[in-house]
Amino acid sequence: MTTASALTRLLKPVSPLAADMSIADVADRLLTPELKAFLSLPIVDSAGRPLGLVSRTTLQDIFMQRFGRDLRGRHAVQEVMNAAPLVVSLDTSLEDAAKQITGQLQYPITEDFILVDAQGLYRGLGTVLDLLKAMEARIAQRNLVLRKALVELKESQTQLVQSEKMASLGQMVAGVAHELNTPLGYVKNNVQLLRELSAPLFELAEAQAALGDCLNDPTCDEARLTMALEVAAEARTKAAPELLVEDFTQLFSDTLYGLAQIAELVVGLKDFARLDRAMSEEVDLNECIRSALVIARNGIKDKAETILQLGELPRIPCAPSQINQVLLNLLNNAAQAIDVFGQILVKTWADDSAVCLSVQDSGRGMPPEVLARIFDPFFTTKPVGQGTGLGLSISYKIIQDHGGQIRAASEPGRGTRFLIRLPRPQALPLQRSA
Amino acid sequence: MSEQIRILFVDDEERILRSLALQFRREYEVLTESNPRRALERLKSENVQIIVSDQRMPQMSGAELLAQAREIAPYTLRILLTGYSDLDAAVEALNSGGIFRYLTKPWDQQEMAFTLRQAAQIAARQLQAPKVSAVIPQAALNVLLLDEDASTLDVVAEFCVAGGHRLLRAASLSDAVILLNSQPIDLLVSDLQVAGEDTAPLLKSLAQAHPRLLSLVVTPFCDTQALLKLINEAQIFRYLPKPIRRGLFDKGLLAAAEQAQLWRAQPAQVVTRLAQQPREERDREKVGSLLGMLGRLRERLIA
Repeated sequence: MTTASALTRLLKPVSPLAADMSIADVADRLLTPELKAFLSLPIVDSAGRPLGLVSRTTLQDIFMQRFGRDLRGRHAVQEVMNAAPLVVSLDTSLEDAAKQITGQLQYPITEDFILVDAQGLYRGLGTVLDLLKAMEARIAQRNLVLRKALVELKESQTQLVQSEKMASLGQMVAGVAHELNTPLGYVKNNVQLLRELSAPLFELAEAQAALGDCLNDPTCDEARLTMALEVAAEARTKAAPELLVEDFTQLFSDTLYGLAQIAELVVGLKDFARLDRAMSEEVDLNECIRSALVIARNGIKDKAETILQLGELPRIPCAPSQINQVLLNLLNNAAQAIDVFGQILVKTWADDSAVCLSVQDSGRGMPPEVLARIFDPFFTTKPVGQGTGLGLSISYKIIQDHGGQIRAASEPGRGTRFLIRLPRPQALPLQRSA
Repeated sequence: MSEQIRILFVDDEERILRSLALQFRREYEVLTESNPRRALERLKSENVQIIVSDQRMPQMSGAELLAQAREIAPYTLRILLTGYSDLDAAVEALNSGGIFRYLTKPWDQQEMAFTLRQAAQIAARQLQAPKVSAVIPQAALNVLLLDEDASTLDVVAEFCVAGGHRLLRAASLSDAVILLNSQPIDLLVSDLQVAGEDTAPLLKSLAQAHPRLLSLVVTPFCDTQALLKLINEAQIFRYLPKPIRRGLFDKGLLAAAEQAQLWRAQPAQVVTRLAQQPREERDREKVGSLLGMLGRLRERLIA
């Protein structure tokens, strides 16, 4: 739909009047049913150029005077027409036409407007009511488009939040998978070693059993006994069980330790990624920190030493998986802010109204202009493709939904400290978050 | 012969060290260190032929450790053993650490034993080889470029002019094979994709057929698994990501030229390039057929 055709649609091809037509004839013309919808009639010159508009009200005013029709009925309509009517070119857009008409329109509305072509020749009339209807339709259509855009925007926002969740989950899973490789490495090797090392022990057991059989067998002759003794002695030398004791003890304890590590990681993963977003009444924030650290350990261990100063905390109602997401985000950010090797200090404490938690790193820190924007969605200082810029803004939302506060303080060159306060039960208007 | 071989394992997890020590103490003299700094100290005073290091350690990364180890003891064979697939670490370990193998945790016992046996063989050959003079003759080299990229050509051409080397160019794998059969090539600079063909099999074949030829890979692809194979099976000398970073590329070319000139001046047993057979059947077939095509070259080397 082009804008030019928008006005064409409003065009009513009313036959124009000649300038010398009498007022009485015009009045008769206005009474015909097909012109009932018009407030006025156009007057054009011989070339078809519009000269003016004559309105019903003008004629009514004349005829309402005593002998008005008799006195002026024969006069040319030209004498009483409005010589400065509203003239709109057909190629004007609907919006511009509306602007032009409302700008010039006088109250009360007594006239229509003349539509002309590009050459300025009369083409027809347009009524103000039709124009209003067209504008209303256009606005309704615009609203529809806007509403659709809003829905799409909300959808893509949800998708972004989801993809940030997936990104941090993916990062975490990859990290934990890698973390599993170390204990798996030695556990696997140890089990293979145990199998190899135990093989001669079974041979020794077999040789000694054979020797035992010999000794118990009265028919066993000297030669067979000597042979069995020799085999057993040889097997014993080969197996060297006394030397194996230490190795076996070590291998078994390392293997069990490794399996415990693996189990801890798997439990951590399960605790951490609990897909139920449910609020839980009795959560110890210190436990959340420990489980987030199990998960974040691989990203941190070569960047920083983690120091925990965890105070006694009352249990609070919160959604642990969401709080874990916040903690993991803060810990990963802290590790990434450290260039060489530094420290991450995690503290918890409680006061009368809230449970508090701080994560402090000895990293690069941020200048005030960066600090001011860190909770803004899509703000990131990481290279393209390495951060969605949503981590902290989602963290902010999660803490806010818990009725808490998150704040950051930073000094370039010295590090950054995040502080989270989560309200204790008595003062807690709980919100569930998406 | 392997009795004299000393292997130093470095890992911040003591249990890994104990496990490896127990596995290899019968075949080699095994040293272990959980602190990379102490490991470097030991290298200064003790003769070690093979270093196997973890990548992620609190004090220093494995790639960094191996790069420093190379400075202290250039003749060591360096192996990275890591549970993390980290492209940057692999690239650094190759480019700065000049690693012999990139192994992953959990490791396969047989494969680890085999890799260490290969490394030990090279180390033993080196121990027996006469020490060479420190003066490296500045010989002119033949450089084969297998990459259509103009920016790669610029750098390589300039390097050849500056060093008095001869630049040869091939537009496809088959062109390259013809040139490799007719000319004694010292350095190969290649993309991983040339004229729609994968060049990795050629690189792998060359590592077997021509261990003195050094390959530098320039590529826009970043795939840790592919790089791992190029290290282990093609023994590439450098892996340079595209777009080309000029300084890095120049340094790589210079180092390759120096190494090639050094190897030219030395007996064959000193060459520390020994590639692993490709693990995948399809790769093995491709490499096998390319090795056939490179047959003439091989015969000349054996002769």
